[in-house]
Amino acid sequence: MHIPDGILPISVNAGGYAATAAVTWYSIRKIKQKENPREGIPKASLLTAAFFVVSWIHIPVPPTSVHLVLNGLLGALLGYYAFPAILIGLFFQAVMFGHGGLTTLGINAVIMGLPAILAYYIFRLRKLGGKDSPKKDGAFGFLAGAVAIGVSVAIFVGILVTNLPTDFISAEVERAAIYTLAIAHLPLLGIEGTITSLLVVFLRRVRPGILDGV
Amino acid sequence: MPIKWKVIAPLIGILVLGLALPVKAFAHGASIKYTVSTVIELVASYDSGEPMAGAQFTIYAPDDPATPWLTGVCDDEGRFSFAPDRSQPGTWDIQIRQAGHGDIVHIPIGGDAAVTGGGGGYSKLQIGLMAAAVVWGSVGTALYFSRKRRA
Repeated sequence: MHIPDGILPISVNAGGYAATAAVTWYSIRKIKQKENPREGIPKASLLTAAFFVVSWIHIPVPPTSVHLVLNGLLGALLGYYAFPAILIGLFFQAVMFGHGGLTTLGINAVIMGLPAILAYYIFRLRKLGGKDSPKKDGAFGFLAGAVAIGVSVAIFVGILVTNLPTDFISAEVERAAIYTLAIAHLPLLGIEGTITSLLVVFLRRVRPGILDGV
Repeated sequence: MPIKWKVIAPLIGILVLGLALPVKAFAHGASIKYTVSTVIELVASYDSGEPMAGAQFTIYAPDDPATPWLTGVCDDEGRFSFAPDRSQPGTWDIQIRQAGHGDIVHIPIGGDAAVTGGGGGYSKLQIGLMAAAVVWGSVGTALYFSRKRRA
């Protein structure tokens, strides 16, 4: 899911940085509009650590393997804090482990951060139609986690397929490999949805205040 | 049969049999040919350890880093090898790519050519320490912002 350096043309990387700068600015603006913007920082900081570490958890999906992302979980629990949290997590992943790259930091933030904001709005839908309940939290938590990773995969595939290099040995082979990887991510929709669902239900039971802000 | 033929006939029989048997012949002449070349072997794998089987590689020579000098596909173990043109000393760039993942390695060829090399390659302990440092930084940030402000 992390696009490394040297894969995309400079123009796409620059566009990714521009989009990330705009979304980061908007996210911070929304955070500042809160009554106490500092209140969400501890939660965002801990979930940034979780996002950073979780990319090492590989799930074998023959013929390849995929890793957890948890951008839907961050979106559901953090709201607009999720985008800067993911951006910081991606930066450390690129600098320390070589997951992704510095030139592609912007585009990777778009791939994983924008669906996190979408997950936030999906999770907020639980408040529609009367009182929320653990079942509704669980159901919308699942939707938020699954949709976020699904949209991330769709953006990832779209960016790669539309930017295949012309001097490459076979664009067809690369395209087929990209589609294979995308299909391998399908089980991840269920896994991330389930993790998000279980966690929000658990938090509602032990610390309901955490879900109040979102 | 005269005594002379009693000796010669078996000898001829043995000779004919020897020629007819399908045994490998050993000639006395020998020819050895050799070619001196530096072959560079690369092995590509994901950080999960699984090989980049079928990944495509593109090699750029030092004199023209924009035009591919050689392209090909890794084997099932993510392995491939090539013999660089020794008349082009300098840094050879090799990009390996599969499904939007990959890396570029820069190999100096010339007087001080590297014998082995590669990108990444942290030990598990190093990775664990780095991850712990970032997690500790995040926990510290969380603790700092969760402290109560003085009135």
